Amino acid sequence: MALILWLAALLLVATPSAPGAAGAAPIAQVKTVMGKVVIQRSGQRLPANIGDPLFEKDVIETGPDGGIGITFIDNTVFSTGPNSQLALDEFQFDSNNFRGSLLADMRQGSLAVVAGDITRSSPGAMKIKTPTAVLGVRGTTFAVQVYGDH
Amino acid sequence: MPRPLIAFACTILLAGCPRQALFVVLPNEEGGAGAITVDDGKTVTTLDQPYAAAESRAGSSGPVEESRGNIGVIFHRAIAAQPLLPRHFRLYFILGSNELTPESVIAYRGVFDDIKKRPVYEIAVIGHTDTLGDLRTNQALSLARSAAIRDRLVRDGIASGAISIAGRGKRDLIVSTADQIAEPLNRCVVITVR
Repeated sequence: MALILWLAALLLVATPSAPGAAGAAPIAQVKTVMGKVVIQRSGQRLPANIGDPLFEKDVIETGPDGGIGITFIDNTVFSTGPNSQLALDEFQFDSNNFRGSLLADMRQGSLAVVAGDITRSSPGAMKIKTPTAVLGVRGTTFAVQVYGDH
Repeated sequence: MPRPLIAFACTILLAGCPRQALFVVLPNEEGGAGAITVDDGKTVTTLDQPYAAAESRAGSSGPVEESRGNIGVIFHRAIAAQPLLPRHFRLYFILGSNELTPESVIAYRGVFDDIKKRPVYEIAVIGHTDTLGDLRTNQALSLARSAAIRDRLVRDGIASGAISIAGRGKRDLIVSTADQIAEPLNRCVVITVR
């Protein structure tokens, strides 16, 4: 019995932990990938693949030839061009009442956004932080370019 | 020139400093535009027309003219990476039944054509009701309708793991009406493929 428990414990430790925080639900899915794209998650650097789930706090990094398109669970669509760094700082969304918040940190590069349901019920629910200004979004399509290294 | 002096010169001659960021409203699918606000901590710039733009120089932000051609070049790669936008399919039921109307049967088949265009997809099924009855009953009814559609999608070969369901009850009417109004157009399930 003790051996079984010990083995079970070993198995638990050895099993690679699920992506994101324990039990966290995905907030978005990777839909397109061009060139080199890395997802930083809990100190790990993972290559991005079409179909991968994304979690709150993930940081997306595209290489000089890179690009990525993601769709959030509220139908917001983000896409970035090369040499970009984008942190998905905060995302909460309740699909029953459409309430939630999205805060992304655009540190460098280019980002195109088609705002989804999250901006429908609460104005100010979506914010994009950049090194020089904060963008408030009232349901629209827009783009941001952040120049240079920050 | 020492740094503070450069910064000082920049604040006087903003246009002479390198651009730090560019913010642009793009036309949406319907050709219109919503709005974004650009807040640099001192001033807030509101952009609410297609191709309206703001920029940051030396930490300050304000409106700027940028040609469509330049905008196209600057964001070419980001826009090229954009996935197919989510698409919505509205399904209506024959009154008092779980049977779809003939038009809705066609819309339902459209879901299967749409997913073929996507390298990967997720499906969200959201139920709506009319305003007859109380909030709680309608919430349950809208969720039951979306569950019924999910089961049908699964029977027709969609992986259940790719489907999420929700109910909006009578809080998000397709056609706005007063309370306690029977309205067939509000007894609806919206399938979103993304």
